[in-house]
Amino acid sequence: MIQSRRNFLRALPAITAGAALAPAPAIAAAAGEEDGRHRWAMVVDVQKCIGCQACTVSCIMENAVPENSFRTIVSTYEVHEGPRTNTYMLPRLCNHCANPPCIPVCPVGATFQRKDGVVVVDGDRCVGCAYCVQACPYDARFINHATGKADKCTFCAHRVDAGLLPACVETCVGGARIFGDLNDPDSKVRHLVDRNKMKVLKPEMGTQPHVFYLGLDERFQGHVEGAGTLWQPSGHGG
Amino acid sequence: MDSQIIEVLNVTRETSWLPWAVSYFFLIGLSYGSFMLTLPYFVFGRAQHEKLGRLALLGALVCGLTAPVALLADLHGPGRFMNFYLHFQPQSWMSWGSFFIPVYLAGLLLYAWLALRGDFAVRGQGGTSWLARLYRLAGRGGAAPRMAVAAAALLALAGAVLVALYTGMEVMVVHARPLWNTPFLPAQFAATAFAGAIGLSLLFNRFIGGRDSDLETGLNRLLVLALALVLVLGGGWLFASMSGVSPSHSAAFSQVAGMPQWQLTAVWAVLATVLPMALATWRPASSGLITGLIAVHSAWMMRWTIFIGGQSIPKTGAGLYDYHLPLGNDGLLGIVGTLGLWIALLVLMLEYLPWAGQAFAAGDKKATNALAANAIASH
Ligand code: SF4
Ligand code: SF4
Repeated sequence: MIQSRRNFLRALPAITAGAALAPAPAIAAAAGEEDGRHRWAMVVDVQKCIGCQACTVSCIMENAVPENSFRTIVSTYEVHEGPRTNTYMLPRLCNHCANPPCIPVCPVGATFQRKDGVVVVDGDRCVGCAYCVQACPYDARFINHATGKADKCTFCAHRVDAGLLPACVETCVGGARIFGDLNDPDSKVRHLVDRNKMKVLKPEMGTQPHVFYLGLDERFQGHVEGAGTLWQPSGHGG
Repeated sequence: MDSQIIEVLNVTRETSWLPWAVSYFFLIGLSYGSFMLTLPYFVFGRAQHEKLGRLALLGALVCGLTAPVALLADLHGPGRFMNFYLHFQPQSWMSWGSFFIPVYLAGLLLYAWLALRGDFAVRGQGGTSWLARLYRLAGRGGAAPRMAVAAAALLALAGAVLVALYTGMEVMVVHARPLWNTPFLPAQFAATAFAGAIGLSLLFNRFIGGRDSDLETGLNRLLVLALALVLVLGGGWLFASMSGVSPSHSAAFSQVAGMPQWQLTAVWAVLATVLPMALATWRPASSGLITGLIAVHSAWMMRWTIFIGGQSIPKTGAGLYDYHLPLGNDGLLGIVGTLGLWIALLVLMLEYLPWAGQAFAAGDKKATNALAANAIASH
């Protein structure tokens, strides 16, 4: 199994240009991939993130995310400590929670969790009520203005089902995003999760996120106390 | 060590429950609040409350019929609304809501029809026009038996309680927003809805009810009680937040307490509650226009603050998301359009609905309206 970009590069010849544009957030379960054998998860090694936003861009390209909307982004902070100033990078995406509060609120059952843990939206059913957007504690969801439906990271389920890595993992320059199957005892994510003290965002919410952070500074684990960003999107594309 | 964090780059999540949602919660609140005010006359037969009953029925109808339009517009895929009825989800309050709204509206329409059936019949007397025939059809059977009106009122009441319950619960269960996640919220929605409905009746009394000063006094007294309840609930929330008895309330409080725009909102909210209370106590017979306006405005502001203000607090990022009211459909135009629809419906009802009772017996429009105003005024 390919688990990070480096392994991926080794396996490159086996992979065709599979970046099919998925226009809608709807992901149908692929045959054979949704039998509960896998539990997809991601480890983000915060120390390795260089804040290049390659993941942000590749996600947009891969998933046809409209202008000024993001399924993933690297939140970037300036941290002043005494005379020192540092930059802190925190890749954010849907946590594919094991106990996802976005699902029970949906009035039409459009958002659901596949057996492999991936939380997806059935675009045919979604009425765009945005209740799930409110319920997600991570601001991971948004309304896609091109489709009028809830949108979010799908762990690139269409790629994963085809044996590929999520686009963000594939393009990660620093190797900070590691993706794999928690149910596979030999997978790198399994090893990392077993051997390290992992943190998740807002653990007190009881959502049981399946995006684990290595080396996460506590000050960034929940709502960040600080001065807000000056940059705001000027409008949405569509 | 002293540390300071500045967010350089992050996603800004747009408000996804739009001003449409504020309009819906506002209108449906005014509607069920107004409906309650109709009960003393139409169900319990208290003749002295006839004018209130009739004005409030008008308010319940006009707000109740406009509300679902705003709600539908808040869906980003309004055309897919049938999915609500094809895929019921018992664990979702919103899903229940899609069933409660029709119960309430059907109950309200049935109740209004039965309550006014005698008036329909009177208005349809004699004429041969299709309109007169329509009135006769609506008024067939004459004044409805009290029991029938009461049964319809019971259905509408059940709907009203369910709507009040679901609109509050739907927002309250959102743990992700500490500001919303409080058991005070459903009660606060209901109390402000009731105060707003009293305000609306005060305004109706002023503009279409011939300015009855007894009614104005009575409504102002009631308004003081409703606003006192609003204050008590607000105080309760503040206590839960500041005393530390509830971590989620403290979290909500700490998110907003330091922000100047939220401090201003808090001062505004308190003033908009205390001021009409003082006025309504001091000049109960003449302050109705002002107290009514402020009460309606408070009901709107409360919902605006909860929804639009609440969504401007990032769940993970720092600071606040900026909200600028868009000028188009999803903003100002939507609000103005809803108001326009509301006014159009009101005008139609004033014109064609025998809401004011027997006074409409005379066929002539002008004379009828004068008669109606008189009849109500002298009641
Ligand atoms: S991060 Fe948000 S959208 Fe993703 S599964 Fe968890 S609650 Fe749902
Ligand atoms: S926006 Fe779509 S997926 Fe989200 S709660 Fe509403 S119907 Fe469900």
